[in-house]
Amino acid sequence: MERPPSILLVGLGGAGCSIVARLAAQLPPEIGVALIDTDTRSFQQIPGAMVVQIGRAQTRGMGTGGEAALGAASAESDEAALRRAFTGVPIVAMVTGLGGGTGSGAAAVVAGYAAEVGATVLTFATMPFSHEGERRQRQANEATGVLGLKCHGLVVVHNDLLLQQVAADAPLSESFAAADTWVGGALRALAGAFAPGALVAADPAALRSILANPGSPTLFAFGVGTGEGAAMKAARAACECPLAHGPSSVTKVASLFVHVAGGPTLTTTAAFEAVAAVRTRFGGETSTIVCARVNPELGDRIEVSVLGASLPAPKSPAKAKKGAKAGDPSQPMFEFATEEAMRRGLFGGTPMTFIDGQDIDVPTYIRKAVRLPPSP
Amino acid sequence: MTPKILPSLIAVIDIGTHKTVSLVGQMINGKARMLGFSERRTEGVVKGTVIDLERLHRCVHEVINDVERSSGRSIEQVYLSLSGPAAEGERIKGIHAIPAHDGKVTAKDVTDAIASAKRLEPPAGRATLLYMRQPTTIDGRAVANPVGMAGKRLEVHFWRVTMEEGNMRMRVGMVNGMSVKVRDFILASHAAACATASDSDKQGVLVIDMGAGTTDWILYYKEHILCAGSIPVGGEHMTNDLSVALRISRETAEDLKIRFGSAMHREADANQTIWKDGDRGLGDQQFNRGTITQVLSLRYQETIEYVKKDIMQHLDQLFPGRAVKLDQYFLPAGIILTGGSANLTDAADAVHAIMQLPTRIGVPTFENDSLRKPEYAGVVGLMTAAITDSPPPVRRQRGFLASLKDLFRF
Repeated sequence: MERPPSILLVGLGGAGCSIVARLAAQLPPEIGVALIDTDTRSFQQIPGAMVVQIGRAQTRGMGTGGEAALGAASAESDEAALRRAFTGVPIVAMVTGLGGGTGSGAAAVVAGYAAEVGATVLTFATMPFSHEGERRQRQANEATGVLGLKCHGLVVVHNDLLLQQVAADAPLSESFAAADTWVGGALRALAGAFAPGALVAADPAALRSILANPGSPTLFAFGVGTGEGAAMKAARAACECPLAHGPSSVTKVASLFVHVAGGPTLTTTAAFEAVAAVRTRFGGETSTIVCARVNPELGDRIEVSVLGASLPAPKSPAKAKKGAKAGDPSQPMFEFATEEAMRRGLFGGTPMTFIDGQDIDVPTYIRKAVRLPPSP
Repeated sequence: MTPKILPSLIAVIDIGTHKTVSLVGQMINGKARMLGFSERRTEGVVKGTVIDLERLHRCVHEVINDVERSSGRSIEQVYLSLSGPAAEGERIKGIHAIPAHDGKVTAKDVTDAIASAKRLEPPAGRATLLYMRQPTTIDGRAVANPVGMAGKRLEVHFWRVTMEEGNMRMRVGMVNGMSVKVRDFILASHAAACATASDSDKQGVLVIDMGAGTTDWILYYKEHILCAGSIPVGGEHMTNDLSVALRISRETAEDLKIRFGSAMHREADANQTIWKDGDRGLGDQQFNRGTITQVLSLRYQETIEYVKKDIMQHLDQLFPGRAVKLDQYFLPAGIILTGGSANLTDAADAVHAIMQLPTRIGVPTFENDSLRKPEYAGVVGLMTAAITDSPPPVRRQRGFLASLKDLFRF
């Protein structure tokens, strides 16, 4: 039997599988790919990838029709196959789209199995567009609460943010490409960090120590810089990455994992300058793990990826949680408010207010996907 | 127990998302005179919802203490303003058949009709906070005063405002906790209208009170309230949008909103660069003014769209099947925009652009110059509404000592 890959990229559900399918072509060979879905059509996107069809009995090879409960049941019924797929893999990177049935329901179950067989699980979850309505939004929010507790790291990508990255008249595929760039960058960084030949190396155990607190929000940022002062440009781009934006108070983290990759011109000084810039922005006082790697393919490009985890929220009665009672099942949601806070700003942690199925606390320009003029 | 205060003393308190304001006044020869005023930044409220009761409690307590100190009176009862979507309004009616022997409406018939309207129970779990009079009809014709008129069927209408019981108890408890009683509730939008709209305006006018946490609206037709509602969006949302968009702190966002913000996005702003502090010193930052106006105008206009939609829904409910239009014939006095967010540059233009009705900024008319600003329309109007809606009780017979005490107060 062949050796399991050091990183397994898992696409879960319809959205997850199509993101993985788009990414698969540009990934280094160390990364294995697996697709998990109830719907057999998803598997045709990458011929030859490892596939796990779940819920054959429940859905008979079709989708879940947006039923999260059905998604969860499907994953539970194929426990053995899922566990087998994850055995021996040190890092599982799962990509899924929340809001639908398979993503929202099965993600927490699948992540749970992967973690139980010893893998470090990092999940990238996309949240539905505001226009998709209240039900999907709620389903996705509930799923993040549960999912956050099951996996070691959870990075949430808001689809609304994607629309803003491109001009209003750009084709739809372009906005999704932005998400692919971010997730792809993260995976390349992870793969690069643990593969042999790194300038400054790290091991999966180090990543695990960063992401050791399930349920605490995960910060992820990615930036690219080219030409003169590329390292600083990349660091600044990472600091301004829309995935990590929001009032600075909520994105200070306890521990950081920073990966700098560049062409042959990458110097140690430049790499550490970039790391210092990122640390100033995001914190990382307790521990910062630095990885650097020379990749001739990058030329004069430098890529900076940042992963960070905050400490678990203090158990002392924090002021903002006054409304919630002890033992309230919604409590983990409040702990998870940081991710929401990035989008909802000062209103993060307050109950959402829906009008016409949209959370109106989210800025109008995000919901209407209006691209703002660049800052001077 | 005889009240310690002069019966004509009126205290009002307006607890908003941004600030808590209290005003104490006295009726002298039928005119209100201000005795004391206090204002504080509200703490513990976000989006018009209480998130930290303890801090809010302390804040309200301090405001009441301040106003007692500045007026030199002790307050026993206050009128509390009521805003936000938690207070829901609906139309109720009471019907009374006029006895056939002479067919004329007597005062008792009117009292009976009113009693029958007020007997209607609010939905389970909700408490009635206030009733506002709407037109009275005889056989379907609206009349100003039905007493003495002939007809068969007398109908009285009320705008009834209800609120979930727990929420109401919390609001009452906030004030009651400090030996001050809530005398009555007054709808915040009605108060704002009392301060800014004249009686002739009320033939047909829409008043929009855009505060920090909520935007309340009220519609008057033929001198009576027709309907009222609230949208849980306000100036705080604009500040928040700006802080998310520019990745700046709430304070900086608030400052930029006031100095450079606008409710209309104009091409001229698009590429104008502005400085945060203006001194170009350390920590000063450059921003594109177009970004600021774009973010704010989108939110502002969306909020007005929501208000419009809410009004149309209410009108559909009141007049099913009759497509009522918001036009000059219906609302000859147009729109009065008030509340703190009315201060945003071009606010009236933005409302006009969406509603297609003449819009003006409502500034309260008051003896005190410092209160002639849109953000004080609510509290000044509370005072006006408290006087006109429920006249203060007549001076009771009181003990010799108490009157002596009053004597020395002056």
